[in-house]
Amino acid sequence: MQELQALSPYAYGLYLLIILGGSLAAALCKNLIRAMAGLITAMLGAAGMYMMLNAPFVAMMQVLIYVGAVSVLIFFAIMLTKTPAGDSPELGSSSKIAAGLVVGVMPFVFLVSACLNYFKQQVETPPDIPVDQLGQDLLTRYALGFELISVVLFVAMAGAVILGFERRRSQ
Amino acid sequence: MNSLFLFQLASLVMLACGLLGLTTRRDLIGMLISVELLLNGAGLSIVAAAQLTNADASLGQLAALLIMGLAAAEATLVLAIVLVVGKRFKTTDADKISELGG
Repeated sequence: MQELQALSPYAYGLYLLIILGGSLAAALCKNLIRAMAGLITAMLGAAGMYMMLNAPFVAMMQVLIYVGAVSVLIFFAIMLTKTPAGDSPELGSSSKIAAGLVVGVMPFVFLVSACLNYFKQQVETPPDIPVDQLGQDLLTRYALGFELISVVLFVAMAGAVILGFERRRSQ
Repeated sequence: MNSLFLFQLASLVMLACGLLGLTTRRDLIGMLISVELLLNGAGLSIVAAAQLTNADASLGQLAALLIMGLAAAEATLVLAIVLVVGKRFKTTDADKISELGG
């Protein structure tokens, strides 16, 4: 246990580097396939962070849903829109990149200072939440959220199917 | 510097990169990738805040699961919309898609 705790800063640094590199690639790569590879890398880094936060179930779901399902959906979108070799159009003029830097960096600086000054950690080690308690909560205390997310998913899927039919009719 | 701040820092990195991508990219799929990055950062931030404070830890983990469900729904809808737009305008460049029509 002691050895594991001594290792944790290195594990954190490794995951942070994975997240940083992946996010930068996802935001800046011209080639959409490369940007997707960066996004998947960042998602895997976030899964590692969930493991460090003692939330292994969420980490599993991150890998299953994001890395497994959502990324495949986006790959399909890239494939079906026939962007030549996945290349996106020019990243934009330099003024647009400057605007992007401002929009990206300003909230980052403000929120980092807010986190440093106001966020107080109250628990030294994150608690163990067994999966069966998560399931019980989902079906008792938070049943409304569970039902609502089901409705949202259903409406989204039905909407996607209707949009697909619309496309076929206009051909 | 406590570990809560360190985990929030990781999620803020994702937020900043997502915003950067959302403003600089011009095609719809690149924007979708950036939005996924933003949602990932949000989930990480919520779980970190719930696990390391006195807040209900199971609520935090369930909120992250709900965010994942929302991200999946959003990606499905955007995929369909991008397909329709790409069919109609022959491009997914957001700057060129400027016509409204019934």
